[in-house]
Amino acid sequence: MREQSEIKDNIQNRDRIHVVMFFLSLLFMVLGGFILAWIIKIQTTYTVDSSVIGLFRPVEQKHVDHPVRGRILATDGRPMAISAPLYDIYMDCTVRKKDYEEEGKDSLERAWRNKARDLARYLSIEFKDRSADDYANMILNGRQKGSRYLRLQRNVDLSTIERVKTFPLFKEGPYTGGIIVEEHEERIYPYDSLARRVIGYVKEQNRIGLESSFDTELHGTEGYEWRRVTDKKRWIRDLDSAAVKVQNGNDIRTTLNVDFQDIADKALRAQINANEDIRAGICIIMEAKTGAIRAMVNLSRGATPQTVLWERENLALREVGEQGSVMKTVTLLSVVEDGYVTSLEQTLPTNHGFVPKGGIKGKPSAYPHDAHISDYERETGRHEITVMHGFEISSNYVFATLAETYYGKKPQEFIDHVYSYRLGEAFDFDIDGLRSPYVPRLDSPGWSSTTLGTMAYGYAMSVTPLHVATFYNGIANKGKMMKPYLVESVEKDGKVIKKYEPSALNASICSPATADTVTRALRAVVNSGTATRLRSAKLPVVGKTGTAQVVLTAEERKGSIDPYHDIAGRKKNQGTFVGFFPADNPKYTIMVTVYSYLSGKSFYGGTMPALAVRDIVDRIYALDEEWRPCLRPGGTYENANE
Amino acid sequence: MSIKTVWHAIRNTLRAIRSGELLLRIRADKYYMHIMYLFLLMWMTILLSLQVDKTLARVGDNKAALERLRIHHAEKEAALVKLHSASAAEIRLRELGSEAALPNEPASVIKKK
Repeated sequence: MREQSEIKDNIQNRDRIHVVMFFLSLLFMVLGGFILAWIIKIQTTYTVDSSVIGLFRPVEQKHVDHPVRGRILATDGRPMAISAPLYDIYMDCTVRKKDYEEEGKDSLERAWRNKARDLARYLSIEFKDRSADDYANMILNGRQKGSRYLRLQRNVDLSTIERVKTFPLFKEGPYTGGIIVEEHEERIYPYDSLARRVIGYVKEQNRIGLESSFDTELHGTEGYEWRRVTDKKRWIRDLDSAAVKVQNGNDIRTTLNVDFQDIADKALRAQINANEDIRAGICIIMEAKTGAIRAMVNLSRGATPQTVLWERENLALREVGEQGSVMKTVTLLSVVEDGYVTSLEQTLPTNHGFVPKGGIKGKPSAYPHDAHISDYERETGRHEITVMHGFEISSNYVFATLAETYYGKKPQEFIDHVYSYRLGEAFDFDIDGLRSPYVPRLDSPGWSSTTLGTMAYGYAMSVTPLHVATFYNGIANKGKMMKPYLVESVEKDGKVIKKYEPSALNASICSPATADTVTRALRAVVNSGTATRLRSAKLPVVGKTGTAQVVLTAEERKGSIDPYHDIAGRKKNQGTFVGFFPADNPKYTIMVTVYSYLSGKSFYGGTMPALAVRDIVDRIYALDEEWRPCLRPGGTYENANE
Repeated sequence: MSIKTVWHAIRNTLRAIRSGELLLRIRADKYYMHIMYLFLLMWMTILLSLQVDKTLARVGDNKAALERLRIHHAEKEAALVKLHSASAAEIRLRELGSEAALPNEPASVIKKK
């Protein structure tokens, strides 16, 4: 009986558990069914509000990597232009002001202001441009007026920014300290104005120099990657998205020698600064054998002499003008090469300085009288002059007569010579902007009976200084005229990826014997002619001086009918010395030209330009390894390169 | 297969679910290792994904550090070469009151032979 009762109790208990489990199970099944139905509903009918949809998507950003612009290097690898960011510092003066006001926390506001005064003291010490009180007034007035973007400094480097971020207040970060730092990529030119016109710049539409010509090499290629936020709110690259790696710009190695550029800049600056009438000056130093330009200086003042000397424009490439007597070498080279003048001691009748039309035996013509010849006749009593002496004293008469005598009936032959010296066209150069020269042809509108002779002494045709230097370099190189160039190679991470070799513009403008003869004449100019100031140079220099009057604009002439003088009789001069050194085995060709303002004074190639050349040559002599003496045992010296 | 058989199978399944015997009836214990392996794989995937995030964050930090060093290097290089020109050296010597100047003659080279 008792057993039956226990069994009955057990059955009842089991049934109760069974029922509870059944209902629990049913509850879960209903819940499951409800969830399933809800999922089906969401999948089929539910649409998310468009304003909320962004919150459900993973946060991604496209990050563009800007390439680092390549460097421009000197020939020895010293950087002449580097890219690095600079920073502007601003301050949100109103930071936390509202919070402090709303919470009535005057003590916090007072503490903020005290820290701002400390900050002002630090800023004053760091930048030294304002007193601590000035900085404090700026910041506190800014807070008073609600300034959210107060500029404190511009163009600050990274080291300074890192220091500034440790200053009182700023070290508390942007949300309490109010510091705002804006970065912008800048080009740094460590040598300041040195060769700035050659190096150039790229600023929006303004593009000049190597920066412009080699922009595609220097610029590099932009890259990008998609970034997403991690659970810890860090931006990382999204590996599931496409990415393009940034390609930094290549470096450009130039032919420029920083020391030579520095020496030339300094020497030219000294000459120009010493004379208020000088407006500008250029200097080109070119390696004779290769045509590599080792220095190219372009200094000019502004509209008035009081303005600072600066590399304002590339006059060496752009100042097309009549070059004067330095072009007599063109005539001399032509007559010697053609065999019309077989010896520099060959004589011409002086004819009292009046150029005979059609040659030696012709009648006096419309050429201007050459006073040098009258002086020569008076001083020597002779009525004949050698070609050499005519070159030494730079006689216009001698060279106009030579041209009239030998090319009077076939002027095209002389013009062809000029073109073969590449003086009649703008050749391809590493910097854009080399201007085209003007060399008259027989059918040119201005061709007259005196054009040929005028060309023979450097007028009537206009060329750039670079053309002149290239021509003289051809003589220095025994007749092989090299193409001037400025870029040696393009490099990537120190490896050469493109090499530019020297090339010739004209493999032979004359025979080596002709080049030697002309060099002898150029030596005479320095020894006993118009460039005697160079006799004392530490290396033997040969070359030619030239003094030319510049054709004035109508505005400058102010009504004068003379193209070279204004109504007050003032003129613009340019004085040049161009030559090469050392005379026996030329290594460098050098050209210095100075340009004057409108002035009553005359400027000659044998004065300022020659002095600048002497200074440059002396300094190059002391620096260039070529001329280092070698001390051998026993105390004997010889050249280090022997 | 008749409808009756299908209905019978559904009813048995529902009953097994209700009584909590479904996994036992279908012998799910045979796949225990596979289920654990799948769980481990998922766990590893999540862990590795977090590690990748961490590494990429570190790569980002290192890139920023390298960029900072590059900028510092460029700034120092510019400052150094600025002092390296002959003119700058002359000016500095003058400022320091030194009588030393750039050489007027080239330096001699001593050779043994």
